[in-house]
Amino acid sequence: MNRREALKSVAFLMGSAISATTMGVLFESFSSPIDENKKLSFTATDEAILAEFAEIIIPTTASSPGAKAAGLGTFIPMIIKDCYSVEMQEVFATGLKAMQYKCVKDFNKEFLATSPAERQKLMEDLREEAIATNRVPSFFLLARDLTILGYYSSEIGCTQAREYLPVPGRYDGNADYKPGQKAWATN
Amino acid sequence: MNINTNLKAENTYDAIVVGSGISGGWAAKELTEKGMRVLMLERGMNIEHIKDYESAMKAPWEFERAGKLTQEQKRTHPVQTRDYPYNEATEKWWVNDLDCPYTEDKRFDWYRGFHMGGKSLMWGRQSYRFSDHNFEDNKKDGYGNDWPIRYKDLAKWYDYVEKFAGISGQAENWPLLPDGKFLPPMDLNCVEKSVKERLEKHYNNTRILTIGRTANLTVPHKGRGSCQYRNLCSRGCPFGAYFSTQSSTLPAATATKRLTVRPYSIVNHIIYDKDTKKAKGVMVIDAETNETMEFYAKIVFVNGSTLGSTFILLNSTSEAHPNGLGNSSGHLGHNLMDHHFRCGAEGTAEGFEDKYTYGRRANGIYIPRYQNYGSDKRDYLRGFGYQGGASRGSWHKEVAELAFGQNFKETMSLPADSWSMGLGGFGEMLPYYENRVYIDHTRKDKWGQPVLAIDCEHKENEAKMREDMMNDAAEMLEASGIKNVKTYDNDCYPGMAIHEMGTARMGNDPKESVLNKWNQMHEVSNVFVTDGSCMPSIACQNPSLTFMALTARACDYAVKELKKGNI
Repeated sequence: MNRREALKSVAFLMGSAISATTMGVLFESFSSPIDENKKLSFTATDEAILAEFAEIIIPTTASSPGAKAAGLGTFIPMIIKDCYSVEMQEVFATGLKAMQYKCVKDFNKEFLATSPAERQKLMEDLREEAIATNRVPSFFLLARDLTILGYYSSEIGCTQAREYLPVPGRYDGNADYKPGQKAWATN
Repeated sequence: MNINTNLKAENTYDAIVVGSGISGGWAAKELTEKGMRVLMLERGMNIEHIKDYESAMKAPWEFERAGKLTQEQKRTHPVQTRDYPYNEATEKWWVNDLDCPYTEDKRFDWYRGFHMGGKSLMWGRQSYRFSDHNFEDNKKDGYGNDWPIRYKDLAKWYDYVEKFAGISGQAENWPLLPDGKFLPPMDLNCVEKSVKERLEKHYNNTRILTIGRTANLTVPHKGRGSCQYRNLCSRGCPFGAYFSTQSSTLPAATATKRLTVRPYSIVNHIIYDKDTKKAKGVMVIDAETNETMEFYAKIVFVNGSTLGSTFILLNSTSEAHPNGLGNSSGHLGHNLMDHHFRCGAEGTAEGFEDKYTYGRRANGIYIPRYQNYGSDKRDYLRGFGYQGGASRGSWHKEVAELAFGQNFKETMSLPADSWSMGLGGFGEMLPYYENRVYIDHTRKDKWGQPVLAIDCEHKENEAKMREDMMNDAAEMLEASGIKNVKTYDNDCYPGMAIHEMGTARMGNDPKESVLNKWNQMHEVSNVFVTDGSCMPSIACQNPSLTFMALTARACDYAVKELKKGNI
């Protein structure tokens, strides 16, 4: 197998598939390790906020449940704590707080109390900011990437949003593609 | 250490095999099948076939971190984390770098697995023969020493190991890549077929594209199941569908009832007997208890991986061999090589939007070397081959930057609109005497052993070749109708290909080589080295099949010589 393909598929290992923008942030977590004495802790409210955040990225649709049902509210903080450097953890935690502060400032309410329209507006602002800063690692980028990674490697993502085929038993490199046919969950 | 007579008898075998990877497993099989009582020593843990492949049948969601490594894993595996193979699903195969450090005079990525089966469990499985061009290149251009053998010496041994291991592939009658005894080939996919057709026509068959020749079974073979197209080989195959020590050579060796396997046995050095001028046995450190012990045998096969074996030889010093066992040539540790890769080109294939794949083929395409052959002349020596393939992935270039929401989800749940096709070069690195390893006595590993220092770099010939590895790939893709072709060079340091070879080379002249044409030490007749360290040059093909053939051949010779009383 072409090793470059294999390198790319690190992120896909678990069947996730991610837009090209993702790779930078994912690989950041491969940066030099630091002795982790202090780890962030996340409250139940943080997890609830992250679940709702992830649900905006990947919502429940007619075809399949979304990121919240797939458990992203606990997945994201777990990965942040276990797999990222202290600096990146701080970027994440600071950004999470800043997002909550922005809700109060913009809408005069807590994040969890915002309406779908307000959440949409909030996310668009965060997205624009990320693009404007040329994707400097931020809460939005980290949380979005981890949402996509976590969702498309979750059971819901693999078996409902996509199609999971654990043991194909054969290879057909010239199979017909039917319009609308879901992507395979793993490569 | 006190060894009483009984213990000495208990610790005595006909042959000792150091290492249980691809070549060690073959040595154990061949020697036991020829009637020898064999002790196979493995420095790491035991891995039982199927039972110990814990991650093999896991679904993506059964992993805790979706494949990601923890900060703690990154701390304990600073080298293994430099590239992709070490991840949540495969973490047990890769060494804790803190336990076994090495010194990098220049950057060298040393990927190691200490466990029964060695890298036979994690290898890429691509299996190619060397051709006479490869055996003659050193002599022709003067880099390295002349190989003491030619293709005709190895051909029947390639046949022999292929038939047992099970190599699938397509015969092509290509002069630089001899055909083998193949199982049915895997299929090219629709894009690869199209590229093959256009490419071969464009170059008037002076370049060819074939399916990768791989040690994955396409039909059941010798009691092993065929490939299920899961593409999860790196976790260990519960169907035994790719060649590994566990799936293939170990069961054969075990069936003779003449094999003893001892895991957690680090061979520290080979014990030399100055009276007989032969090796008496090996000194072992128990990796769990740190206890030392000795084992004895009439012959010793050293199969501890290229640098692992060379470490043992360098560390086996005595009055008669002050610079390492069998090193009066001064070549032990020198002429280290690895393939250089991570450059090529890729693009998109249009017109296949109504086609998709079913199943996941753990194999790609291969374009064998065509440079510096016939009328093809380059401004560097030797050449390269390509590995690659086409796929319809799930990259969605059309998705808006940092998109989110319902439409985003729906798009991400579909395959990409177009197929992509890539070619990555694998280039030959010349043997340079100054690329070397030596023992660094200023540092110690977890078991109190000194460590290896590595001083190795690619040079101008490799740099020039890389230009062509990119440009030829782009040219071929464009000639084949691939669009948006882009070249890449992701930089390459020695070690990255995990094809490290050389450092105890074969040769006819004892003054410039460590081993003779039978992989036997010139100076110590009962020591054989048949892993990658024996290679005088590395061609551009994946090397493991050649290690298998050399090992089987050396075992045959060793046992015959032993029976004749010559060893």
